[in-house]
Amino acid sequence: MARAAQLEELGTAPPLSAGEWLRLNRAVVIRHAVINLFMVIILLPLAWVLLMSVKSLPDAMRGNLWPRRFDFTHYGFVFTKIETLPINLFNSIYVTAATVLITTICAVLAGYALVHLRPRGGPFVVAMLLASLYFPTRVVSIISIYEIQSFLGLINSTSGLILPYITLNLAISVLIMRSVFQLIPHELMEAAKIDGAGPWRTLWLVGLPMARNGLVVVFIVNFVTAWGEFLLCTTLTNDQTARTMPVVLAGAQGGLGQWAWPRLAAVYVIVVTPGIIAFTFAQKLFFKGLAEGVVKA
Amino acid sequence: MAQALTSRWPRARDGISPWLFLVPAVAFFVGYQVYPIFRVVWISFTDYQFLTNEPARWVGLDNYAVALNDPLMWVSLWRAFLFTMMFLPGTIILPLLLAILIDRVTSPRLATVYRVILLIPAVIPSTLVFVLWKWMYNYQVGPINHILVEVLGLFTVHNAPQWLGGTSLTLPSIAIMEIWWGLGYHTIFFLAGLAAIPKELPEAARLDGANEWQIFWHVTRHGLQPIMMILIVLRFGTSMAVIDEYLIFGGFNRDSPTYTWTIYMYDQAFKLGMWRQGFAAAIGMIGAVVMMFFVAILLYIFRRRG
Repeated sequence: MARAAQLEELGTAPPLSAGEWLRLNRAVVIRHAVINLFMVIILLPLAWVLLMSVKSLPDAMRGNLWPRRFDFTHYGFVFTKIETLPINLFNSIYVTAATVLITTICAVLAGYALVHLRPRGGPFVVAMLLASLYFPTRVVSIISIYEIQSFLGLINSTSGLILPYITLNLAISVLIMRSVFQLIPHELMEAAKIDGAGPWRTLWLVGLPMARNGLVVVFIVNFVTAWGEFLLCTTLTNDQTARTMPVVLAGAQGGLGQWAWPRLAAVYVIVVTPGIIAFTFAQKLFFKGLAEGVVKA
Repeated sequence: MAQALTSRWPRARDGISPWLFLVPAVAFFVGYQVYPIFRVVWISFTDYQFLTNEPARWVGLDNYAVALNDPLMWVSLWRAFLFTMMFLPGTIILPLLLAILIDRVTSPRLATVYRVILLIPAVIPSTLVFVLWKWMYNYQVGPINHILVEVLGLFTVHNAPQWLGGTSLTLPSIAIMEIWWGLGYHTIFFLAGLAAIPKELPEAARLDGANEWQIFWHVTRHGLQPIMMILIVLRFGTSMAVIDEYLIFGGFNRDSPTYTWTIYMYDQAFKLGMWRQGFAAAIGMIGAVVMMFFVAILLYIFRRRG
């Protein structure tokens, strides 16, 4: 083991026969084999649904893993032939964008204030936010959230979903921004203050640029939650046209016609891809932010 | 002391201004989290119903008495606990193992690729994970049964396992799905913990002749303890209060193992014709208190160990 590691580090191992190399590096080979097995397990369900979305209809019914004939028309079909699909997709984009935007603004303002403005009662607010993480708020509060929404006339309203959605991750978002702002030296903020900048300008010009990584984490966390929220949407809306795309997908029974399996899979791929692509591009910032915000919090 | 005195003045002068920054967050937090919880507590002491015009009557502990004497309450709590026990070990041990392996990958490029793949399931929104696995477990076109029947020939079309829909396999099936979902995310957590352990410690142990297992047990395990505790407490809490998965995979059959306290509450509040919100609120509060009781015990055990 130790010798294999040494060889691995040197990189200029003397020429070896294949069998000997394998014997020396057995631990390395097994390690990578196990890691890759896990990677395959993670990716396989996604690969399956991607493959399903380009299968021909008879292949989908037969259930063969690899199709005999590919059919790439499903993506066009779901956009042109399923009337409710653009509506549901729009609902998802609208609700998610509003939720992410408002929650992020709230979290930045609150996180900044809690660390650098030190308001009276700040520690109490932090304690309440922390406590809410240990209570199954989302599940238990659904009864009175229904009451609030019906009092406000927001039952079956897509826009109405935004209000409870904002709070789903509000506590954790504020706590993340708080620990990100804690990394910014207080002297830096004081210096801006002495230069005559008010708290708003200090936040905008000094705080925000340094909180970038944390912002990415808050963005992604809130995007993922709002984009895939089920419980509130299914409880607070009745009509399919008021619902978001994932909730419609969860209720769809695979079968024939417009909800034939490959078409369902095509809708799925359309809904799941934006998040994965956005994350892949932002992953560097995301991991940095995770280290600054979550691990410390 | 002098500094405290000088910094007191400006704070008192603009005492309002910091709160301007806090108001948006606190308003949403109070309106949609704090108030609803206290409201549910109040509702649980009344015979409150959405649909009647009569004002709710205070009934004291009646709802709680009925719920605690209801065998279904206890069965449904037990089912939630059962699910937690199926889910928790796998979601801690597998990521721990994977993190230890990935931590030793020396190539930075490969390590980045692994990390990106690991977090892909974590950025798939919850409902889309459930939809994906609903199809994976599907009796007709799902690849799991296809492999069991057509490829391996372990079952025939007639006796192939029925994973979802409230059978005895449903809770393990959901647990497997949840372990898959959390695998990457938890591995990332453990990797962060491993990175914080000074590299000299395992090296020194290795020079002293310790084998891999001894290094893990005496060195790595202690370094990872804080992260492991956080994960256990958090995941214990979330898995005791699962609801979306049960709604999608289980339905409202009272005999289904997915009919846990959360579904019992939801069923009473929104599905059954009579809409007994007062009783539903009592079920929810009992479930929440039981969950927090266990979480408190876990926190107490872990606190004593440091």
